Amino acid sequence: MDPKLLEILVCPVCKGPLVYDKAKQELISKAERLAYPIRDGIPVMLASEARVLGPDEEVAG
Amino acid sequence: MSDSTTHFGFKTVNETEKAQKVAEVFHSVAQKYDVMNDLMSAGLHRAWKFFTIETSGAKAGDRVLDIAGGTGDLSKAFCKKVGKTGQVWLTDINSSMLGVGRDRLLDAGFAVPTAQCDAEKLPFPDNYFDIVTVAFGLRNMTHKDAALAEMYRVLRPGGRLLVLEFSKVWAPLKPAYDLYSFKLLPFMGKLVAQDADSYQYLAESIRMHPDQETLKAMMQDVGFGRVEYHNMSAGIVALHKGFKF
Repeated sequence: MDPKLLEILVCPVCKGPLVYDKAKQELISKAERLAYPIRDGIPVMLASEARVLGPDEEVAG
Repeated sequence: MSDSTTHFGFKTVNETEKAQKVAEVFHSVAQKYDVMNDLMSAGLHRAWKFFTIETSGAKAGDRVLDIAGGTGDLSKAFCKKVGKTGQVWLTDINSSMLGVGRDRLLDAGFAVPTAQCDAEKLPFPDNYFDIVTVAFGLRNMTHKDAALAEMYRVLRPGGRLLVLEFSKVWAPLKPAYDLYSFKLLPFMGKLVAQDADSYQYLAESIRMHPDQETLKAMMQDVGFGRVEYHNMSAGIVALHKGFKF
């Protein structure tokens, strides 16, 4: 998916911005400390499917 | 964990259980969804969807959000309307349905942005879309008021919501419709999709869904203006339309 289109997406929980981690294929909400996976090119924007960031995990960007 | 209960067809279940059960239904039917739609509605679902597209007033450059877009029928038609300058997002909460839809659109030559999402918690900014549509999806949502409020939030002022959904059939047709839904429909589901239970759920969920006037009031409650509906096929389905001002 076009990264420009990914930029439109916001965190479904707090509606705050997301950081795209291309290497991990994740969209990260710094506010909620959740990483939403992109599976087979489809962002999975469900909190129930998101990875909770570790306490020391830094988010670039 | 909430102990609130809701409907899954005629059964009463926990709210958390409902989402899971609905998911099972659509994982089960995703591959046969299109052929079953043609069979069950005798092809009429195509006419209902065509009318929805025409009523939307979609034009070149519009941004469209297709919620519970499933296998992508509406998205495909909207892509043709909005053209290269527009944007159509195909979304569904169910990964099986979304995978089928995305691949079908690619086969048809449309690379649409796709996202798996819960209509009650949309991952889009406020005031972004010109059109939001949900066809045969609202019925399956646990908190319809929350979902409608989210649809309102992501629409820009002047934008409109279109809800295509099964509704309350014209009274004289009810006996025949009941016979069809509760006898023939599960039988066809078993024969074609090897899944009678999912189609039994379909018939039950249609009966539990709010009727035309109730849904209109629900849309008004979350802020929609100029809400009106149009019955099709004697009220077997209704198209509701409302504006954000």
